[in-house]
Amino acid sequence: MARYGMALDYKNCINCKACEVACKEENGVLLGADKHRIWVGVKEIEGEFPLLSIASNTFMPSQCQHCDNAPCEEVCPTHATYYDENGVVRVDSDKCILCSYCMNACPYDARYVDDRTVTVDKCNFCSDTRLARGEVTTACQATCPTKVRIFGDLDDPNSEISQVLREREHFTLKTHLGTKPKLFYLI
Amino acid sequence: MDLQKIIPYRKLSLKELLVPENKFMALVAIVLTALFLIGVMIYLVHGHHAYGVTREHPWGLLIAMYIFFVVSSTGLCIVGSFGDVFGFKDYMAVSKRAIFGSIITILSGFAVIAFEIGHPVRMMIYNVISPGLTSAIWWMGTLYGIYLTFMVIEFVFLMRNDMKRAKIFGLIGLLVGLAAHSNLGGVFGFLNARVVANGVFYPTYFILTAFITGIYLIFLMYGYKYRGQPFPEDVAKALTNFAKIQGLLLAILMFFETWKMLTGVYGGMPERADTIMHILHTKSFWLGEVLCGMVIPFLVILKSKGTAIKSMVWASFIGMIGIFYMRYDLVHDAQLFPMQTLKIREYQLPPSFVDYFPSLTEMMIGFGGIGLCLILYFLGTKLFDLDSMPEHH
Repeated sequence: MARYGMALDYKNCINCKACEVACKEENGVLLGADKHRIWVGVKEIEGEFPLLSIASNTFMPSQCQHCDNAPCEEVCPTHATYYDENGVVRVDSDKCILCSYCMNACPYDARYVDDRTVTVDKCNFCSDTRLARGEVTTACQATCPTKVRIFGDLDDPNSEISQVLREREHFTLKTHLGTKPKLFYLI
Repeated sequence: MDLQKIIPYRKLSLKELLVPENKFMALVAIVLTALFLIGVMIYLVHGHHAYGVTREHPWGLLIAMYIFFVVSSTGLCIVGSFGDVFGFKDYMAVSKRAIFGSIITILSGFAVIAFEIGHPVRMMIYNVISPGLTSAIWWMGTLYGIYLTFMVIEFVFLMRNDMKRAKIFGLIGLLVGLAAHSNLGGVFGFLNARVVANGVFYPTYFILTAFITGIYLIFLMYGYKYRGQPFPEDVAKALTNFAKIQGLLLAILMFFETWKMLTGVYGGMPERADTIMHILHTKSFWLGEVLCGMVIPFLVILKSKGTAIKSMVWASFIGMIGIFYMRYDLVHDAQLFPMQTLKIREYQLPPSFVDYFPSLTEMMIGFGGIGLCLILYFLGTKLFDLDSMPEHH
């Protein structure tokens, strides 16, 4: 089985939010649901007009980090949050009791309550849609015009993500917490 | 089946129930219970949208009130155990009432949490068939379920004056209760993401504050029962002893809190020190937790060396207000610091501490739970003889 991860060449991000739209469309996220599943963080321009540092204005896409050592999985009282065979952190909405413990335990604020199922939901790397259909991309990756996102199997040394992680420096978020995220930010 | 044979109770006339001797307390209990029911109805219509909780602050007043009730329950269990489990004669007089109190407070806690958990029925099913053994919530919930069972059995044997069996079930109930309660502390202690909550502090702090809460409540129960009259000798003796123990416990609590705050701010660790400094600038910490919860009751005990038990009743009332703030702050403080990785500079979300204030519905259900507790207590005092001293075997 694969061990899916994503590398983000975040400096290429132009904040067009095509990824957010594609994600919502693919996964049937409610219209108007802001920052559900994925979002683009905006670092505002530093300085006072007219002395603005244009280079300081960066965009950082983020989402569930699909941690190898996910705190949300550890704290779930009913195993509603689980690792699937591809190492993707998933939520079984039939088992979720909405105790919100996972929302509190997630250091990345990646989880939200889906108003239709009244359970916690999050990015699952399109496991219910694209991956289930046998495709090997996510909607956000496929739609990104500047190729910010590289999705693939971390265990396959020949996959594009494995190659790029070998070749380029990268970092993960809140590494000190020991959650071992599978979202890598390329420097 | 004759219920009388299982647990001795008084046969009541409807008049006795409908015409309580203290109309003020009856009114308070009815109004609070009515608010609870109204709150529940609003919740059933609007779901969590009726609450002030948000994605950034998913736990609110109802979690705090649940903790408030179960801390009370564990505390009363500890206080009650002095007499019937450990066999200290001086405390025997308060055992029945304390154990009964521990049952009704946890029931009230369960009533409140039932409307915070999104799917309580599903919880009972999947807690059994798909247990998350690494989850502190699973252990807390399961152990509290077992604890309640043992406390009920203990109470039945207490009412039958079967002290031998009451002792066995009481001891198991106490141990399971302590395990459950420290697990409730673990619910916060396990939150690696929340640096002010993470660690071993809360599991031990919960046991300590439970004991303190139990003593406050035993004072309130007897203070109410003997309002305007002198305490009987055996009760007065138990209460005086408890007041002295309370002095020690409060001193330990102040010591705990001091070190928590000092280790929190020391070194200026980002996030942790920021949050602790924020807490140290709030009135709810200084006036609620410190002044009401610890300092005033401590001074009352210190001044009279624990003998002013009438004053201690009022100090305990103030103490319970402090305990409420301790629970509320505990829940709120853990969620103060925003987790919005990479979003903190977004124009919609300025970098600041997360805001939360309970909605009216949350207040109705949360504080309404006190009404349920009062009604159950009233029924208990009518149905059961909570005062007769059990024969000592």
